[in-house]
Amino acid sequence: MKLNILHVKENTHIQYMSHELLFLAQSGQPYRGTVYINFISIGETFDLLDFKKYLTSLRDKKLYAEDIACEIYETIAKSIQTQDLGVIVDLTARGGIQQRLCYGTKFDAVQKKNIFQVR
Amino acid sequence: MDKKTYKDKRAKEVTQLGAGHTEYKYEYAPQLLETFENVHPQMDYWVTLNADEFTSLCPKTNQPDFGTLIINYIPDVKMVESKSLKLYLFSFMNSGEFHEDVVNKIGKDLVTLMQPKYLEVVGLFYPRGNISIHPTFSYANDEEKYKAIEKYRFLNRNLNPQRVG
Repeated sequence: MKLNILHVKENTHIQYMSHELLFLAQSGQPYRGTVYINFISIGETFDLLDFKKYLTSLRDKKLYAEDIACEIYETIAKSIQTQDLGVIVDLTARGGIQQRLCYGTKFDAVQKKNIFQVR
Repeated sequence: MDKKTYKDKRAKEVTQLGAGHTEYKYEYAPQLLETFENVHPQMDYWVTLNADEFTSLCPKTNQPDFGTLIINYIPDVKMVESKSLKLYLFSFMNSGEFHEDVVNKIGKDLVTLMQPKYLEVVGLFYPRGNISIHPTFSYANDEEKYKAIEKYRFLNRNLNPQRVG
């Protein structure tokens, strides 16, 4: 899926995050996770409505957990020109094991509070 | 009941736990729910089940919705088996459900399944259009004690509103 380009100012540090990542493991069990995307603009970003549709399109895709960050990275890289693009995916624990997948340039993911948590 | 008899009985009651191969359904499937016997029915005790990965579709727009479900109950004779509950909750993935409806639907399915002394289901759904919806279902059997719990919790729920953001 290709994301439409939106023009933005150069050298803007852009970070997107969504807690609403869902795709299927090879067994068919849904995986849930949070995705972080980070890059420096060289004049382009992508349409967030397209990106929402892209994330939704993953709901019935079977992927290895380790491939999910690369899948998202490549979709963005095919759509827009960026500098230092990086993607991090934090998956919810399965069998007591939590996975973090990183692809592209390293960055610090802004850990926003899970606003859905009961306090 | 001795330990071996209990283990054998429990193993027969639940078919999905430890089955090796698990089939996932993505359309509403209440038949997936299974129970096992409560071996302490003379006691009143709370069981809380948190499901942070609940997802369904908006019935109007087909856009995905997400939320946390909190199920609190006081068991009587039957208890819900947690793997079957997981599969049942996953089965909402491609079902079109309004938040208020789905919380009631899940509550009613669990009441039908277990006939608990008391049960409540709280849905904490992710915000859409800047508004998050938190419906609560509650049920008590006919005993006065559990009716009183239901009434108290119903009347006092908003003394401690869930804060979002």
